[in-house]
Amino acid sequence: MKASTNTLGPGQFVAGVATICGRELSAYFDSAIAYVYTIAFTVLANSIFMNEFFLTGNLDMTGYFDLLPLLLCFFLPAVTMRLWAEERKTRTVELLLTLPIHPLQAAVGKYLAAFGLYKLFLLGSLPIPIMLAALGEPDFGLIASGYLGLLAFGSMFLALGNFLSALSSDQIVAFVVTTVLGFVFVLSGNDQVVAVLDGLAPSLALGTLLYESISVMPHYESFVRGAIELSSVLYFALFSGLFLWANALVLEKNRA
Amino acid sequence: MAARPGSNRRFGPADPPSHRLPPDPMIQVENVSKRYGSHLAVDNVSFSIGEGEIVGFLGPNGAGKSTLLKMICTWLPPSSGKITVCGHDVVTEPLAVRRCLGYLPEHNALYDTMRVDRFLAFMGKMHGLRGGELRDRVTWAVETCALQLVVKKRVNQCSKGFRQRIGLGASLLHDPKVILLDEPTHGLDPLQVVAFRDFILGLREGRAILFSSHILNEVTSISERLLIINRSILLADTPLADLNQRAEDEGTNIERVVLDIVQTRDAVGQPA
Repeated sequence: MKASTNTLGPGQFVAGVATICGRELSAYFDSAIAYVYTIAFTVLANSIFMNEFFLTGNLDMTGYFDLLPLLLCFFLPAVTMRLWAEERKTRTVELLLTLPIHPLQAAVGKYLAAFGLYKLFLLGSLPIPIMLAALGEPDFGLIASGYLGLLAFGSMFLALGNFLSALSSDQIVAFVVTTVLGFVFVLSGNDQVVAVLDGLAPSLALGTLLYESISVMPHYESFVRGAIELSSVLYFALFSGLFLWANALVLEKNRA
Repeated sequence: MAARPGSNRRFGPADPPSHRLPPDPMIQVENVSKRYGSHLAVDNVSFSIGEGEIVGFLGPNGAGKSTLLKMICTWLPPSSGKITVCGHDVVTEPLAVRRCLGYLPEHNALYDTMRVDRFLAFMGKMHGLRGGELRDRVTWAVETCALQLVVKKRVNQCSKGFRQRIGLGASLLHDPKVILLDEPTHGLDPLQVVAFRDFILGLREGRAILFSSHILNEVTSISERLLIINRSILLADTPLADLNQRAEDEGTNIERVVLDIVQTRDAVGQPA
C-alpha cells in the first residue's frame, strides 16, 4: 500500500517554500501591516538621515547606515513577531504542519516573506542615493557595500525574530524578547557599553568578550566601511542558518 | 492483548485487535498511549480501519478523541505504541502519512484574511498540485462543498457553516485515501448536517474515514462501526448492528446501551 514516500526532493522543497512565502507576503499586504510599517520606517529613517545630512553636508550614506541598526532593533521584531505567534494563537499552525512539508520549509518560507518586506523598507531609502548622485559624485561602491551590510544584518535579525516567534503564542512577548536580544547583539558593539562591562569585572573583560564573540556591529561595520571580510559574511550566514534551523527544531518539538 | 480490568467484554478492546483486522488496514493503531506529564490523555488504545469503512469515534468532550486524531495525523507523537496510516509509520514517515491523509481539525482554524479560492489553491499547492490539476481540484472542492456563494470572499467573512465546508473542501483537495474529521458537523445547521452525511457516504469507496463526535445520532447516522472512548480508554469497538441487537435484546434503545458501556467503565473506577 506504500503509494507515496517519505522523502522530499529539492524541487518539492523549493516549491513548498515558495508557496508558504507567497502566502505570508500576501498576509502582510492583506492587512495594513506592510503599508504602515514601510511608510513609518521610511519616514523615520529618511527624516533622521536628512536632518544629519543638512548638518554635516557629507556626500555619503554613512549616517544612514550608522543609524539603522538601532532603528531596526524595533522594526524587524515588529515584522517577525506575528509569523509563528499568530499561527499558534489562531491554531493554524496545526493546519500548516500537518501538510506534507518539512518544518524547515515553513521556517524558510516565512523568513523569506519577512525578508521581502524588509527589502521594501530599504527600497524606501532609494531617494537618498538618487539625491546624492544629483548633488555630486558619491562613492557608489561604498553605498552598495552598506546596503549589502543592511541585507546581511536584516537576514540575521529576521531569522532570530522568526525563531523567537515560534517559542510563544503571544506576539507582544515575541516582540519584546526579539528586541531585547537584538539590542544585546547591537549594543555589545558599542565602545561605551564595552568599557562599562569591562569595568564591572576587569578580570573577566565581559564587554570585550561579547564584542569579539557575538556582537553584530564589527561585522556590520566592515560592510559599511566597504571592506567586506569573509569572517563577516560567515558570521551573518552562520547566525541566519542557526536561527532558521532552531526555528525548524522548535516547530518539530514544541507541538501542543 | 489482555483484557483490561473492568472492560466491557462484549464490546470492549478485550478481543485481540487481530481478530478485527481488515485485510489491508489503512489506519492501524496499536497499544497507543499519550501522556502529558502525569495526565494520561489516551490509554493503550488499539483498533484498525480498512478501506471502505466509515468509523464513528464517539465520546464526551475531553475523552481523548481529538488527542488520538492528532496522533494519527502526525501532529502529536504517541508516548508509546505504534500508528500506521496507509502502511506508513506516523513517527518515522510523517510526510508519507500526510500525503495520503485529509484532516479536518476540531477547531477548523483557517487563514482568515485569505480569499476562499486563494486559500483552497494554497492548500492544493502545499499538496503538490499545480496548473490544470490544481484548478480542477479547487473547482471540484468549490462545487462539492457548495462554496460558490463565498468563493471570492475572505474566510473571515464566511459563516460558521461555510467555514466548516471550506475546511472540509481543503482537506479533500488532494483526494486522500484516509480522511480524519474531528467534530465535522460542529456549527452546521440540520440541513447542512444531512448534506454532510450524504457527502461523507459518497466518499466511502476506496477510502477509510474516521470521524469524531460527541453526538450519538450523528455517529450512528453515518457509520456502521463505532469506537466509544471515555476518560482516555477505548471502551468499545463494535459494529453498529451489534449495538442495535443488544438494544433489542435488552428492550431498550441504543442511547441506553452506549450509556451502559460508559457507566460500566465509570463504575469500576477507571483512572480519570
